[in-house]
Amino acid sequence: MTNQDHKTPHSGTPLLRVENLVKHFPVNNGLFGRDKAIVHAVDGLNFELAAGDTMALVGESGCGKSTAGRLVLRLLEATSGTVWFDGEDLMSLKPAEMRAKRRSLQMIFQDPYSSLNPRMTVEQTLTEPLALHGLAKGRHRERAAELLDLVGLAPQYLQRYPHEFSGGQRQRIGIARALAVEPRLIVCDEPVSALDVSIQAQVVNLMQDLQRRLGLSYIFIAHDLAVVKHISSHVAVMYLGQIVEYADKKSLFAQPRHPYTQALLSAIPLPEPGAKRDRVVLQGDVPNPINPPAGCRFHTRCPHARARCAEEVPALKNDGGHSVACHFWTEIAASASLTPVVVQPPNLRLQKLQAAFQPKTATVLA
Amino acid sequence: MSALLEVKGLSTRFKVEGGEFTAVDDISFSVQAGRTLGIVGESGCGKSVTSLSIMGLLAKGQGRIAAGSITFDGVDLTQLPAAGMRALRGNRIAMIFQEPMTSLNPAFTIGDQLIEGIRCHSDLGYQEARQHAIEMLRRVRIPSPERRIDEYPHKLSGGMRQRVMIAMALSSQPALLIADEPTTALDVTIQAQVLELMRTLREETGTAIMLITHDLGVIAELADEVVVMYSGRIVERASVTQLFDQPQHPYTIGLLGSIPKLHLEQSRLAAIEGQVPTPMSGLQGCRFAPRCPFADDTCRTAQPPLIDMGDGHEAACWKAPLAFALDVPTDNAAAGV
Repeated sequence: MTNQDHKTPHSGTPLLRVENLVKHFPVNNGLFGRDKAIVHAVDGLNFELAAGDTMALVGESGCGKSTAGRLVLRLLEATSGTVWFDGEDLMSLKPAEMRAKRRSLQMIFQDPYSSLNPRMTVEQTLTEPLALHGLAKGRHRERAAELLDLVGLAPQYLQRYPHEFSGGQRQRIGIARALAVEPRLIVCDEPVSALDVSIQAQVVNLMQDLQRRLGLSYIFIAHDLAVVKHISSHVAVMYLGQIVEYADKKSLFAQPRHPYTQALLSAIPLPEPGAKRDRVVLQGDVPNPINPPAGCRFHTRCPHARARCAEEVPALKNDGGHSVACHFWTEIAASASLTPVVVQPPNLRLQKLQAAFQPKTATVLA
Repeated sequence: MSALLEVKGLSTRFKVEGGEFTAVDDISFSVQAGRTLGIVGESGCGKSVTSLSIMGLLAKGQGRIAAGSITFDGVDLTQLPAAGMRALRGNRIAMIFQEPMTSLNPAFTIGDQLIEGIRCHSDLGYQEARQHAIEMLRRVRIPSPERRIDEYPHKLSGGMRQRVMIAMALSSQPALLIADEPTTALDVTIQAQVLELMRTLREETGTAIMLITHDLGVIAELADEVVVMYSGRIVERASVTQLFDQPQHPYTIGLLGSIPKLHLEQSRLAAIEGQVPTPMSGLQGCRFAPRCPFADDTCRTAQPPLIDMGDGHEAACWKAPLAFALDVPTDNAAAGV
């Protein structure tokens, strides 16, 4: 098969389109598990992703972002809804067809400690997908070495086992494994959250370089908005299984419309002592997804909630390419004094010194 | 002003197969009464071992304080017998941990656990201690504390459990609170709640805090002074504004560059290449030298001491103070910010 084209997106149609995706997990309650309750993990997701773009799914624990990522790859079967990949309905594929399709859709996991098989060498880990998909026949070892090189690891690591590597190196191996089959879309489930800050920056840079080089599309699942802002082109903010706001990165971060997004943004501790800003501190916790609040799911914690919010579910409405699911967002936007931080003047000395940390390969890759 | 806690030349060593390694290597710092000291660094830099050394919680037979003194309120904790340390711990020095899920006992109600601590360090009767526990839960903003006190930890969310831990720590009115990654396991909106709570409680009680974290954002929000650790050593010490405005150690500079900025467009992050050396690596010179873009032969052969640059700002770097226009190779500078 040589029909893998990394460069040209199909004009007009997005690479991925998700329609009304729903996942309900039944949980057994009560004596003998007779009372069935349902966790509304993902409740009606709609989004699109163009080739070469990165869409971020952000939200807090339990908002359904990881479930959504797994549903797209059919690692979990959806309760209802459709996933169109390159004009094809993934949900209608037979299991064998779906397995073959996974050549184009790969995943990177959060925990580099548990997502690699401890009994397999790096070479075995990297060549297994090649064998499964019948790729690079007769030159598995060269291909594995190429893949390691691609993620910035030396080929002599091929014979080593996962425990011999640090977290950042393991995450690079996980990325190499995903790249082995030349995918077009990679679902990245919190790929840098388990890493130290300095290693996190290395992996983020690597992912961006690879995207530019290979024309990859990413679904980037994360809770860290600063990382999301850095890496993504579009952002969907999720709360209790639903998208509450969706926009391109620029307008989402410049003018967040949903009160939840505003609160999320203002909750991030900034590495700038004395930064002045209006902080919205949300009260309470995320409600139980077995019994999500009626009306707007956010109304129990929303500082702007009114009677209507408890009764009527707000639809995700598009206004100038920026969608928001809130009855009162225009009023909130008008009244909100959510002027972000007084941005401090750029620290020229610091910028110059930090420039010395830029890897020498950066220009080559770009 | 004499310091509430004074750590001098502390070295902590751990037994491993075939020898010992130094997790914390000759560090000195102090915490003033009512102030907040932040200790920042990445995994394995020795920040948690520092706090365990102070609390006397190093596992017997494995970790030991090899050198140095820890003076709390005029008493050297390293010389204190176990009973004396027990009387102090959870009383005048209290601690909260990262994992609110595992630091509470699942088999007892939160009330049992709070009351046990209170009665251990006071002569209150059960009912009085219970009243005090309810009062503490109220102060950490737990809704309907009279009811919550009889619940088991699994009924509470992560943020609530961390509040219970804070209530427990503050119930004895400690002079020093050691908080080891107190908000790392929490979601960002819950983290904001807990940080705000810590800030108000600090104002109300005047407790000094030693805040251990990897998150420079949390440091910027809460700390007055900051110690930056790398591979078991202190590489920089400064007031919080000095550290963020005029960082002197290349590691601090790289660390600040590694964080994506929410209010700035960047094409690439200034990542620090390579990785933290293992404690067994037996590095000769500055431990950061293998990853430092400014390192030269001096850096690779001799360990730099912590030197005062003026205004109490200290850095352990042969090149410090790093000038505005350091000799950065021009092709790198062009590729930069």
